[in-house]
Amino acid sequence: MVLSLLGLRRRKRDGDEEYLAVQDVETLPRRRLTLVLGLAVGLATVPLVMLYVLLVLSSFADQMLSGPDIFTARYSLENWRLLFEGRLEPAAGRLYTTRDLAMIVANTLLVAAGVTVVVIVTSVMAGYAFSRMRFWGRRRLMEFIILLHAFPGVALIIAVYAIYVWSLGLVPREAITGYRFLYTILARAALEIPMSIWLMKGFFDRIPWEVEWSAMIDGASRLRVWWQIVLPQVKPGIAALAIFAFLAGWEDLIYVHVFLYTGGIKTLATFIEEVVGNIETAYLPIAAAAGTLYLLPTIIFFVATQRLLLQAMSGGVKG
Amino acid sequence: MTRPRLNPALFFLLPALILVIVFYIVPLFLSIYISFTPLENWNLHRYLDEVTTSNYERLLYMVRFDPDVGKVVQTTLVFVAATLAVNVLGGLALALSTFLMEERISLPYRVLWMLPRMTPIAVYSLMWYYFFLGDRSGTLNSLLLSLGMIDEPLAWGTDPRLLPESAWAILVIVNGFVGVSFGMVVFYSALRSIPREHVIAARVDGASTWQLVRYVLVPQLRWHIVYVTVWQLLSLITTYAHIFLLVEWGAVDKWWGSTWALYVFNTAFTTSDQGLAAAAATILVIVGALLGLVALRLLGFQRMMQEPRGEI
Repeated sequence: MVLSLLGLRRRKRDGDEEYLAVQDVETLPRRRLTLVLGLAVGLATVPLVMLYVLLVLSSFADQMLSGPDIFTARYSLENWRLLFEGRLEPAAGRLYTTRDLAMIVANTLLVAAGVTVVVIVTSVMAGYAFSRMRFWGRRRLMEFIILLHAFPGVALIIAVYAIYVWSLGLVPREAITGYRFLYTILARAALEIPMSIWLMKGFFDRIPWEVEWSAMIDGASRLRVWWQIVLPQVKPGIAALAIFAFLAGWEDLIYVHVFLYTGGIKTLATFIEEVVGNIETAYLPIAAAAGTLYLLPTIIFFVATQRLLLQAMSGGVKG
Repeated sequence: MTRPRLNPALFFLLPALILVIVFYIVPLFLSIYISFTPLENWNLHRYLDEVTTSNYERLLYMVRFDPDVGKVVQTTLVFVAATLAVNVLGGLALALSTFLMEERISLPYRVLWMLPRMTPIAVYSLMWYYFFLGDRSGTLNSLLLSLGMIDEPLAWGTDPRLLPESAWAILVIVNGFVGVSFGMVVFYSALRSIPREHVIAARVDGASTWQLVRYVLVPQLRWHIVYVTVWQLLSLITTYAHIFLLVEWGAVDKWWGSTWALYVFNTAFTTSDQGLAAAAATILVIVGALLGLVALRLLGFQRMMQEPRGEI
């Protein structure tokens, strides 16, 4: 305790190098300041906390909760049972439309996993080229890729959809569902590409090149060096990228709405959209339960990888 | 006999380049082309041969004389300016607070404020939908009712007596909570990389916390503030996903609650006028590209470009 007050203890949770040095009393946070700031930030956080608590509580309640009524509502696992049985949208007359929840979750997972794979493969390869190779137009291309991220990619969705409509005619009928998924995954992954390449290049830049250099002098091919020597060293970067890409695919609404929903394929996002869309008839706590279910993987991911995420986000900035 | 060898750099770049060409370059030109055709109902075979400027003329006319489109333009301007201010200043305030407080309290706060960014869009919209719901069960209404501040529930996003400011406020709040974490993370990590000696020296000289922030910490964040401002500006111009559902569900007024990007999307996918939507999208693309170029200049991305190492 005394040691930690004097700042002599190594603060393991802080990865930054500065913090590994002995910390001076002058830089230690002050107790009263912490109290004031903590209260101020806490006040600003109230709406946020309230929203999440209400959502989760509602998923167990017999009505949508909004504040004072949380003490009068009755709680049970009923909504979750209905959700897992696929008996959703109990309308006014208790007419259940049975839906296959497993299918909806599987669709969502498929999109998220697909986006992850595409983003990782493309940006790990491109990031390596930008970090290690000298080629004509490298600087221009790198600039262009940053510009793409700044570029309104979503504004191009009309043309992306037009290409899709046009290409649909070339796809055999039996493969059309697979094609819808493929197109959604590729189009959504493309949106992540600019930032991911940039992020990956940053990770490659940080690893020393002597080992791969000597391997190449010994006659190993570029591809083998990349696969056997460089890739194992950027595993944390790939992990961060995987999380970002998975969340991007998991969270997506617009692309699944445009490419999958029009084909009758539902994901959790479009399912929630549909349930709340029929606001007159829908039994809303079901939507809250579906929303909570949808939120779960993100929270798990987030808690497990909090440091990695923050690192990667700031890593992308420093380049 | 030697086989022609693929340039290794090209090999590594190929997958990414293909995606970029198919989903950025081709759509860009196609989008510009569609904006000059009277495309309707996605009927690509029928309308794509006619070239006309009528979409732009109609758009110009609508911006000037159609009150609904005028509302969208106003909303976009207010939304971008206000949310940008919230994101940059809020992010700065959050980063400074979490930097200055004890780690035990700081870490949970940083995690909490990242939550909206990590929440799936549909769930996030759902939560705000209930918050601003127009009947007695809406969170805001029931809170204000129990506090006695209003006598009857208000439809926050659609009540004509409250528009347009209430719809704008909803857009800014909903997107502000998401955007603020970007600034927080960037500023926080920048603060953490400031040499501790600067803080120590200031403290030894007897600087108050306010003086420390004002004269030591913030000046060192200058570059990051420019970066976050430019980046968020670019993102906000094309933002619509988080309000797409709120508009679709009727939680905010259709026109006072729509930004230009959402107008483009809705025109393309809920009406059948894709030519007009493409024209509106092209304008968005031009604005984005110009701002992007300015950003590159302003931020000096050249400085961030390390020369490749490990080349033999």
